[in-house]
Amino acid sequence: MGYAAFMGVPFRPALPLSGCAWLLCAVCLGAASLPATLDGRALDPLAVTGKAHVLVFVRSDCPISNRYAPELKRIFTEYQHQAVDFWLVYADPAETPQTIAKHLQDYDFGWPALRDPGYTLVKRARATVTPEAAVFKADGRLAYHGRIDDRYVDFGKSRLAADKHDLEAAIAATLAGKPVAEPTTRAIGCYLADLE
Amino acid sequence: MRLALAGFLAGVLSSGAASGAVTFYSDIAPVVNRNCAPCHHAGGSGPFPLVSYSDTKKHARQIAEVTRRRYMPPWLPEPGYGDFAEERRLTDAQIRVIQDWVKTGCPEGDAAAGPGPPRFPSGWELGIPDRVVQASKPYAVPASGRDVFWNFILTPAVDRTRYVRAVEIRPGNARLVHHANLLIDRSRSARIEEKEAGAGFPGMDLSIESNSFDPDSHFLFWKPGSVPEEEPPGLAWRLDPGNDLVLNVHLQPSGRSEAIQPSIGLYFTDQPPVKFPVLIQLEHDGMLDIPPGDSDFLVRDDFTLPMDVSVLAVYPHAHYLGRLMEGYATLPGGKRQWLVRVPDWDLNWQAVYRYRRPVFLPRGSVISMRFHYDNSSANPRNPNHPPKRVRGGNQSTDEMGHLWLQVLPQGATDQRTVLEEALFRHRLEKYPADFSAHFNLGGLLLAQKNAAAAIPYLRDAVRIEPDRAVARNTLGAALETEQRFDEAIEQFRAALRVQPHYDSARYNLANALARQGKMDEAIEGFRQVALDDPKDTAAREHLAVALQESGETLAAEGNFAKAAERYQELADLNPRDADLRNSLGALYARAGNLKRAIEEFQAALAIDPAHQAARRNLDLARQKLR
Repeated sequence: MGYAAFMGVPFRPALPLSGCAWLLCAVCLGAASLPATLDGRALDPLAVTGKAHVLVFVRSDCPISNRYAPELKRIFTEYQHQAVDFWLVYADPAETPQTIAKHLQDYDFGWPALRDPGYTLVKRARATVTPEAAVFKADGRLAYHGRIDDRYVDFGKSRLAADKHDLEAAIAATLAGKPVAEPTTRAIGCYLADLE
Repeated sequence: MRLALAGFLAGVLSSGAASGAVTFYSDIAPVVNRNCAPCHHAGGSGPFPLVSYSDTKKHARQIAEVTRRRYMPPWLPEPGYGDFAEERRLTDAQIRVIQDWVKTGCPEGDAAAGPGPPRFPSGWELGIPDRVVQASKPYAVPASGRDVFWNFILTPAVDRTRYVRAVEIRPGNARLVHHANLLIDRSRSARIEEKEAGAGFPGMDLSIESNSFDPDSHFLFWKPGSVPEEEPPGLAWRLDPGNDLVLNVHLQPSGRSEAIQPSIGLYFTDQPPVKFPVLIQLEHDGMLDIPPGDSDFLVRDDFTLPMDVSVLAVYPHAHYLGRLMEGYATLPGGKRQWLVRVPDWDLNWQAVYRYRRPVFLPRGSVISMRFHYDNSSANPRNPNHPPKRVRGGNQSTDEMGHLWLQVLPQGATDQRTVLEEALFRHRLEKYPADFSAHFNLGGLLLAQKNAAAAIPYLRDAVRIEPDRAVARNTLGAALETEQRFDEAIEQFRAALRVQPHYDSARYNLANALARQGKMDEAIEGFRQVALDDPKDTAAREHLAVALQESGETLAAEGNFAKAAERYQELADLNPRDADLRNSLGALYARAGNLKRAIEEFQAALAIDPAHQAARRNLDLARQKLR
């Protein structure tokens, strides 16, 4: 149950930084642009303890990111007990928490989700499309960003099955404390809109 | 000419773009409404709507990219190689305008200057159908994995022959469907593929047993954004009681498991067809044997037209290895007439393309297909990794190469059989050892009442597949037509050894026996067919004729008791026939059974009290009995 994982987040031990986020929010009062949980609590996913932080940018109306739901769930199941923090990130400001909650349920991603209407995480992950993945080391430095795997080669060109599983390789390398062999790849999908 | 004008206007607008005047309402909405919104609207096949300024702005970067790359709108044919109706292809000028609009920050402009939001009907697009048929069971598309090719059997169950002027295919969940093809299955032959009745069955392409003279060579095709259209006047297609329709659907998993249960709407007309198109299939699947790693494997076929035709539509088809596809005609003068050219085949966007105006091809034109395949690892769509040898077949890992043309033969009379004969002869040249090539040509010649010409082809078919009852039966029928009864009987008996309850063969056998004077065996044969199928009136009629003929012969030979048996059965078939009762009574009287004779004369009089002969016979019989 992805939703349960999401509900558990605020109670994780790394709460001091959550307080910091609250402080930031107090500073820029009214600017709902920081990464936040679906119930509106500001949260910096990279501040949560873990050996690796994985963000995958999605949107509810992108057919390519939707098609990755079963694969993302598989990866989550594979690594969830290995101190990896997984976050789905919805960056489109127009996607409401209700839309996102329904999307999580419909596609059964199994991941906790954040909104990033101010593109804070988009910029840190250097994401340009959905679905696009980013792996951060424990210290918050970007270890990998790009495609989940090589199933999609270009618009309208896809393999029947993926050959290279780039995100999984990046997670494994980061957990092992090794550099990712190919730290940047090109993701194929739906462009994130320019912010106004 | 409308499209050329649109291109011209767009050109003018794009020069306006250079001065920074591009806005959504005046420049973008007209292009998006016509080219994007037909799929991208609520309930449509596109993943998100593009019907308003905010929709379009939200996806502006994506739109700029996919139009610049010509990935959207999806349109495979190369311009200049065939002039197609409903062409969904942006002009260079339109693409430039879109790029300019996105670069300048997607200005909205004045809504009053725009065309207004596009409208799409939510129900049946052609109005309430005369008949709606839904697949009896939904199919659950898995959440992930390879594309699925599923066949739904639809049963229209019409109570009499209907003529269909239009069909609207509603795939049920359009976002999952790449394309759908509706096929007519007159012999319900597809049902045997189903594991459970109504469940449907998998398969990328399917073969349906069909009568080669099927008049209904229509493309019944659905693709994203397609609008159902009425057939042109005189081109309705026939739907008989007992026909099935098979909907072949190409489905793409969406990320979650979703059920799909398509339905179709049929629109009837009282006007039977007066124009009869033919589907010409160019193919050479027998050549499809592509070595692994071969990046340019060519499949070719050439067919010479035996008559003038006009080409109405074209449907190129291959699986995942197809790359470049060319279809063209070489006219008798040597000039090349392009029919279609697809420079970068993509199975996902395959479609039937209708010509804006029918393409006339004179007799003697050579229609050619040249399909190129890429079985190297550089082809990302290659289903085999690493590549392996691929041959022709119906599954997605097999390959296929078909160029279908829907043509209307020219001429005052129905020219279909002439064209079909040429097509069958062409097939025979390609596949000299193929059963159906021989069988189809033989069957066609027999239907043209040229039994003598049919016999050698049917003999070859039987030689290639001795256990095909239908070929034995057809050969028998040809031999019988040629009065070669002994040989005919041998073939019918052989057919019945393979398929003992094959009614057509039993009927044909009985007929041949009757014509040889072997009445007892003939009667037995007709009797069995009539018993098996009480609705088979031809069998009953033939049984009656044989019984009467046999009864008369026996009576003439003086065997009145046996003759009475025949007439008794005949009277049972026609219990309300007073003459028969009277004749039967006379036979009983002559056989010495006066009691039964009196009963029959009375029965005749009960049916017809004014029957003079029966009255006299009854009096006579009563006198004799005293």
